[in-house]
Amino acid sequence: MLSAQERAHVAQVWDLIAGHEAAFGAELLLRLFTVYPSTKTYFKHLGVCPDEAQLLTHGQRVLEAVGVAVQHTDHLRAALSPLADLHAQVLRVDPANFPQLIQCFHVMLASHLQGEFTVQMQAAWDKFLTEVAVVLTEKYR
Amino acid sequence: MVHFTAEEKAAVVSLWAKVNVELVGGEVLGRLLVVYPWTQRFFDNFGNLSSESAIMGNPKVKAHGKKVLTSFGNAVKHMDDLKDTFAELSELHCDKMHVDPENFKLLGNMILIVLATHFSKEFTPQVQAAWQKLTTAVANALAHRYH
Repeated sequence: MLSAQERAHVAQVWDLIAGHEAAFGAELLLRLFTVYPSTKTYFKHLGVCPDEAQLLTHGQRVLEAVGVAVQHTDHLRAALSPLADLHAQVLRVDPANFPQLIQCFHVMLASHLQGEFTVQMQAAWDKFLTEVAVVLTEKYR
Repeated sequence: MVHFTAEEKAAVVSLWAKVNVELVGGEVLGRLLVVYPWTQRFFDNFGNLSSESAIMGNPKVKAHGKKVLTSFGNAVKHMDDLKDTFAELSELHCDKMHVDPENFKLLGNMILIVLATHFSKEFTPQVQAAWQKLTTAVANALAHRYH
């Protein structure tokens, strides 16, 4: 559960990403695949070395879903239910991978925002993304 | 033994040369204590950790952060020999400080995030990967002597 202040920080971070979901999403995936190569096993359809177009397309999809979560921090389960079903029935990404994606998200935000990526923003964003990951893997069993 | 390529070593060493160990160390430990408040359990004698500003401004946090990151500098110098380099520290963290090795991973991740705030675009995915490999290896070396 996010406090009002945490929700404000999450919204603040999202303001910077909104409108640039594809670019941020592509960078996020590139960092994920470079730093944690085993995560590529979930993206066989993108090939061994995904090209920029593929990263942009899929990255946009991922970040748009994050955007949905941002708009519904009060009712994540309802808002993300179809995605939770997809992850449970089709994608079945091992839950251990979500912290790796979250780490890459923080590094990406940190490199873009530098000093503006304050510790409160990091704490709120970490809590928020961790909640999203819990919701997405909750129906696994 | 973890093998670092020449490129990975270069990425680590060149960035490290530009790191202000005192400043970055304090930020890393401070962020750890704020973002993962349960890590405060190891620092009961650090005084005021009651708020984000108290933590980030706490002189004991800054001093200890500097100490931790200075030790990390040793890792950069001995990337081919981490288990031996950290053998004594590993025993210390197990026997005297009773630190769950999970915390080494959390700290390692925090180092990367703070480095990214300082080095911005220079902290490319490849540089991030090299640093991730190092922090993971250091975490493993620090856990190696646990019993």
